[in-house]
Amino acid sequence: MSRYDQMSALGLLAPMLVVLLVVAVFPVLYSFWVSLFDLKLTRPHRVPFVWLANYATVFQDPLFWASVWRTTWFTVISVAAIMVIALLAALLLNEEFRGRRFLSAVLLVPWAIPYVANGLMWKWIYDSGYGALNGLLFQLDFIDKYMVWLGDSEKTLALIANAFVWKEVPLATILILVGLKSIPGDLYSAARVDGANVWRRFVHITLPALRPSFMLVLIYEAMMAIRHFDLFFILTEGGPAEASHVLAWEVYVETFRKLSFGTGSALAYIMAILTFLLAFALIRALGKKL
Amino acid sequence: MKRIFLFCASTVFLVYVLAPVAWLVSSSVQQEAEITSRPPHWIPREPTLENFEAIFAAKEKQVTYETRRQGDPATGGYIPSTARNLVPAMWNSLIVAVAVVILNLVVSVPAAYAMAKIRFVGRSASIYFMLTTRVIPDIALVVPFFFFIHKLGLLDHLGSLVITYLAITVPFGVFILVGYFESLPDELDKAARIDGCSRLQTLLRVYLPLAVPSLVAVVLFTFLTSWNEFLLALMFTQTPASQTMPIIVAAFTSDFTISFSFINAAGVLAVIPPVILAVVFERYIVSGLTAGAVKG
Repeated sequence: MSRYDQMSALGLLAPMLVVLLVVAVFPVLYSFWVSLFDLKLTRPHRVPFVWLANYATVFQDPLFWASVWRTTWFTVISVAAIMVIALLAALLLNEEFRGRRFLSAVLLVPWAIPYVANGLMWKWIYDSGYGALNGLLFQLDFIDKYMVWLGDSEKTLALIANAFVWKEVPLATILILVGLKSIPGDLYSAARVDGANVWRRFVHITLPALRPSFMLVLIYEAMMAIRHFDLFFILTEGGPAEASHVLAWEVYVETFRKLSFGTGSALAYIMAILTFLLAFALIRALGKKL
Repeated sequence: MKRIFLFCASTVFLVYVLAPVAWLVSSSVQQEAEITSRPPHWIPREPTLENFEAIFAAKEKQVTYETRRQGDPATGGYIPSTARNLVPAMWNSLIVAVAVVILNLVVSVPAAYAMAKIRFVGRSASIYFMLTTRVIPDIALVVPFFFFIHKLGLLDHLGSLVITYLAITVPFGVFILVGYFESLPDELDKAARIDGCSRLQTLLRVYLPLAVPSLVAVVLFTFLTSWNEFLLALMFTQTPASQTMPIIVAAFTSDFTISFSFINAAGVLAVIPPVILAVVFERYIVSGLTAGAVKG
């Protein structure tokens, strides 16, 4: 490795490093600094340094623990549903048949739709007065009168998760499909010679071979679910009561509605560390391939 | 037997993916009386384009609460006066997205080339560093971004979005490009160097023309991410001068006085550009999405 190589590499990397230092590293350090102050925009002239008191405040708040629990629940049901649906879709798209190309193009539709439009669409589908869900269930005689959906605190998280899953399935499908395509065909022929039926081939060859893809999807989608904000804003604003008050919503409310930047930053930091731990595994998995 | 099974599975798949969108489009062309019918009319009996007209003709025609159409106010028969903000907001979204795409390429192409083709001290550290920055949830960046943008005097200015979107799109762009550059032979690099090209010339004249498919993927990702981004735009834009499409559309959804069919029409407009891009460039997107997963 020559000196010229070292210098030219630095030169080529410089623009990216500057961008990331200014808009990623600096903000992270700065927000830790902010989280050490009792900074409220409602009281801008007195900003005492409080050490880690904001973190203590957050940990003592029952609402924080409730929102951690809701975030966990939302993440678990979303990621589980994404994995199952994406696996089925990928198995379908891995077959050769007429119209497969068309299906894989259509698959990208939910992926491309902005989250705001996705939220708008599902809000209208779930509408208690005129929505499609009520209409459909009513016409099929599953319900005898129109129901409240998003406004029902028992159902609201699952319904938001459904909207999230619909939008995230395409990416997961594509990642699992890559895994499927990388399985050597002779494994299946060998198993067939040994008399393994479809189900046994699926359980003993396909599923184990897909492990890396599953890990990738699992970690990536979990990260996305934990940080998700848009649908909560559009569909319920954390409601009804606090039924969909998740961690990301808590950060937003604390910071931009209560204007308490100190505790808001502390919350954001806690959330970042939680996702970081998850993502550490992801980067290691991806890092091996770089 | 297998063909019938595949056909059924494909049908279920198509319904799952397309039915919600079809319902969105169908409701956007229904009239007020139709959209409030129970059970709903799945296919509009008297389709109308007046919602779209209200959005595009808003400048010439005064469409306000005063000129509201006859409809039952209790069920929301209104086209909001903010309908006219939607087209300028789409322009804002477009300007931001194009600016982010250009700056992203300027920043990520050289970085990706260096990471893929030059063995230098700190190479793997810089890759880890880059990926780590994307792990931080956007919502955790909002407060520091807010102070930063405030200091620069860019609040309520499109520049605030360009800068912050760069932060969220560059790592993924570099990631796609590194994968692609690595798949191109190293010999090209050596040959060009022997012919007296500098590193930059090698990149621009030899590798860049070969990397077009991955550049297309990066352009598409960056464009769609900027076009669709909501949280940061919600924080940094306050007036129609800088509000992007998702902000205007989101405001419609929380206003109970607005006609449902109008909200759906706004939703359809927000959906059309990204969906067309995604379906037309499907191949590039899939290869980009799998850039990290296929390399072994």
